[in-house]
Amino acid sequence: MKRFLLVLAATLLFGSVKLPAEHALFAARSELRLHGVPMDLSLREQIGQLGFIAALSGFRSLIADFLFIQAHVAWERTEWSRVLLLFRQVTTLQPRGVLFWDMAAWHMGWNASVSVFNDKSQPRLALRIKAQREYWDLARDFLERGIKNNPDQPKLYEALGRLYREKYKDHARASESFAKTAEQPGAPSYAKRFTLYELSYCEGREQEAYERLLQLYNADENERLPTLISRLKLLEEKLNIPLAERIPDRAH
Amino acid sequence: MNPVRAGASHKAFSLDRIAAIASNTLTELTRLKVFYVLLLFACVLIGSSVLMARLSFQQEFQVLKDISLGAMSIFTSLLAIVATARMLPQDTEDRIVYTILAKPVPRFEYLLGKLLGVLLLLAISTLIMSALFLALLYSREHAALAATNRQMAGLPQEQLHAALQSIRDSTFNPDLLPGISVIFLKACLLASLTIFISTFATSQIFTVVVTVFVYFIGHLQGTAREFWLQGHSAGWLARTFLAVVALLFPDLQLFNLADEVVAGAAIPLAIFLKTAALGAFYTVIYLLFATAIFSAKEL
Amino acid sequence: MIEAAVVVTGVTKTFPVPFKRRSVLAVRDLSLRVDAGQVYGLLGPNGSGKSTTLKIILGLVAPTRGKAEIFARDSTEVASREAVGFLPENPYFPKYLTGAETLRFYGKLCGLSSRALTKKIQELLELVGLTSAGDRRLGGYSKGMLQRIGLAQALVNEPRLVVLDEPTAGVDPVGSREIRDLILDLKKRGITVLLSSHLLDQVQEVCDRVGILANGELVSEGAVNELLAVENQTEVVFEAGSEELTRQIEALINTAGGRLIDCRKSRKTLERLFLDVTLK
Ligand SMILES: Nc1ncnc2c1ncn2[C@@H]1O[C@H](COP(=O)(O)OP(=O)(O)OP(=O)(O)O)[C@@H](O)[C@H]1O
Ligand SMILES: [Mg+2]
Repeated sequence: MKRFLLVLAATLLFGSVKLPAEHALFAARSELRLHGVPMDLSLREQIGQLGFIAALSGFRSLIADFLFIQAHVAWERTEWSRVLLLFRQVTTLQPRGVLFWDMAAWHMGWNASVSVFNDKSQPRLALRIKAQREYWDLARDFLERGIKNNPDQPKLYEALGRLYREKYKDHARASESFAKTAEQPGAPSYAKRFTLYELSYCEGREQEAYERLLQLYNADENERLPTLISRLKLLEEKLNIPLAERIPDRAH
Repeated sequence: MNPVRAGASHKAFSLDRIAAIASNTLTELTRLKVFYVLLLFACVLIGSSVLMARLSFQQEFQVLKDISLGAMSIFTSLLAIVATARMLPQDTEDRIVYTILAKPVPRFEYLLGKLLGVLLLLAISTLIMSALFLALLYSREHAALAATNRQMAGLPQEQLHAALQSIRDSTFNPDLLPGISVIFLKACLLASLTIFISTFATSQIFTVVVTVFVYFIGHLQGTAREFWLQGHSAGWLARTFLAVVALLFPDLQLFNLADEVVAGAAIPLAIFLKTAALGAFYTVIYLLFATAIFSAKEL
Repeated sequence: MIEAAVVVTGVTKTFPVPFKRRSVLAVRDLSLRVDAGQVYGLLGPNGSGKSTTLKIILGLVAPTRGKAEIFARDSTEVASREAVGFLPENPYFPKYLTGAETLRFYGKLCGLSSRALTKKIQELLELVGLTSAGDRRLGGYSKGMLQRIGLAQALVNEPRLVVLDEPTAGVDPVGSREIRDLILDLKKRGITVLLSSHLLDQVQEVCDRVGILANGELVSEGAVNELLAVENQTEVVFEAGSEELTRQIEALINTAGGRLIDCRKSRKTLERLFLDVTLK
């Protein structure tokens, strides 16, 4: 018994030594957002008792996958509110899962929104449009939170850019998002072009768009794609660029 | 035969003796049915993750990785606890421990040999599961690349490349290896902890129950610790409770790097090394505690 | 003075009983000495503390008071067990090992090299009569075979002291005889043997000295010859004598002032009978 108390004391002593080490490691990981998620009551309410216990015991990702597959099933049945709920749980459990944020936004912005817009059981168009916009906002919300959790992932910025471009038709914001995409490591090469295409649609920023597109055109022959050339030509027309300074009709 | 082997000096610490005990323990453990049942179960689980065929490639890879690493984590943790918990009681019951300790074997070496036997078993099973997992990942990656090549046959090179690259990015990433190593280290920690608990436990069930309890609390320890360190909690009773949890239990949440790895986060080398060092440190400390209690134990 | 193989001084051992205030007294103030080269027998009824005493000597159990030494080294030191072989009561070894593998394992624990062991193992298997069973798994061994492999295991490091806890328990009379012969052989080679048993006639046959334990106390101790000699009595056994001869001897005893106490036909012991019939 005496020995047991001794070992208990030793454990506590050892605890006071390891505590700073654990805290330092935790802090270092928090800085890199590698610390997982806080296990608090709101999460428990979201994923239920059993999921919470499993998540507690180190199988957070597994639960997230499981819920993700359920969301997939719900999508096939077009149960949109369930898809939304499940994706909220999934992204809470695994906020580092870029794929999850991306899929969540895609379902909201491109599937659910279209589905409710075409839903003929709601005869009033105004209400259908309203429902559609609500799903766009949900998509944007997922992407913005995803970016907050993974600020260096080009994929989420790109998805946001597409959402602004195709759905909101907000070219300024779309351009901004594509610009952010291009800044991230491992960004696709088209991100720069997309930034400028969108910029070229913005009223009053044609001059800036023209200059930067031309710069891109001159910098790299590989960038002289059909869309780029047609956008340039359109801007040349709009800005009344002297004929001599215009790009040749056919690049190669 | 020469009866008097006078003056043969006894070595206070002998790797040969430890190796003998470790390899004997490993042999003993590989005769356990539960080991094969668990291993088979884990492998079936890893294999079945391929059946999630309805998902897109990226989703499939993520699920494959999560399920595989989750299966490894469950299997190694469970094996570490179950296999270790029965070792000391079994040896005592069979009186094997008498014959071993009646030889010039220090008790520390006995425990270390036993622990190393379990760690070897854990290492071997981790290797088997990793090999299966990586082979599966590789073959799925191959299939995905081939399918993409076919689907995008007519499209521009740039797009094809981007598509292929995104598949490669979402299959194997080198951070998986530290992720797997940390899963193994967590199992080592648990095995050492189980030996420690079994030195004063009165039965095998007690050992398993206490270890599982520590396992769950260990995953909450981080939350409790940070709460305590920030000094949020009001009452002294709650504070003391949090302090005891923080001091007494290991932070097992720190050993869940795999979740983040699968999600695509990169693990800096420094973080991995620190985590590994912490795991090794715990393993050693628990073994020393176990020795302290076991040395004074009546057999 | 002859070197002491084992010295026990004033050893008391109490085992605490879980969840109870009182504790079990297994050994009380026990002192004994085994000289090098002797065969010493520890006798006593069940639960008298024999096994506990042996475990204290081997450092497997810590005494509550007092101390034990082997060749002048304290039993609590690991090094004291360097020249010791031990066979526990009802030994049980890893089932999944063969006889030879078992000996190899215990040899390794004694720091023997693989090369030395290969030869040693054959020798030991032969010594305990398990040559043909050496590559069979212990799971298939009978009780007596386990006892023998246990004995072989105790001898693997060429010990100077062999401690045997009930070496003949569960062994048939032939095997028991062989173990007896083996003990005598060990003695001849100068190895000290300390054994416990409650089979008195066997102890009588092999031991130089015995100690009798009862309720944890050493109640009697001494050389076997001295302890068992009945003062003033002599036994005469002869063959092919007639009734007449017996009468003459009786007369002779009477005239010499002695007294004939008993005169009967010699009988085989049951053991002798068993050996005669089974060994044919
Ligand atoms: N580990 C233990 N815990 C509690 N009591 C014990 C322990 N070991 C032995 N005892 C008690 O000590 C006493 C002596 O036991 P011991 O085994 O030494 O007897 P023994 O002479 O070897 O008996 P046997 O002839 O049956 O082998 C017994 O009363 C036993 O119950
Ligand atoms: Mg006994």
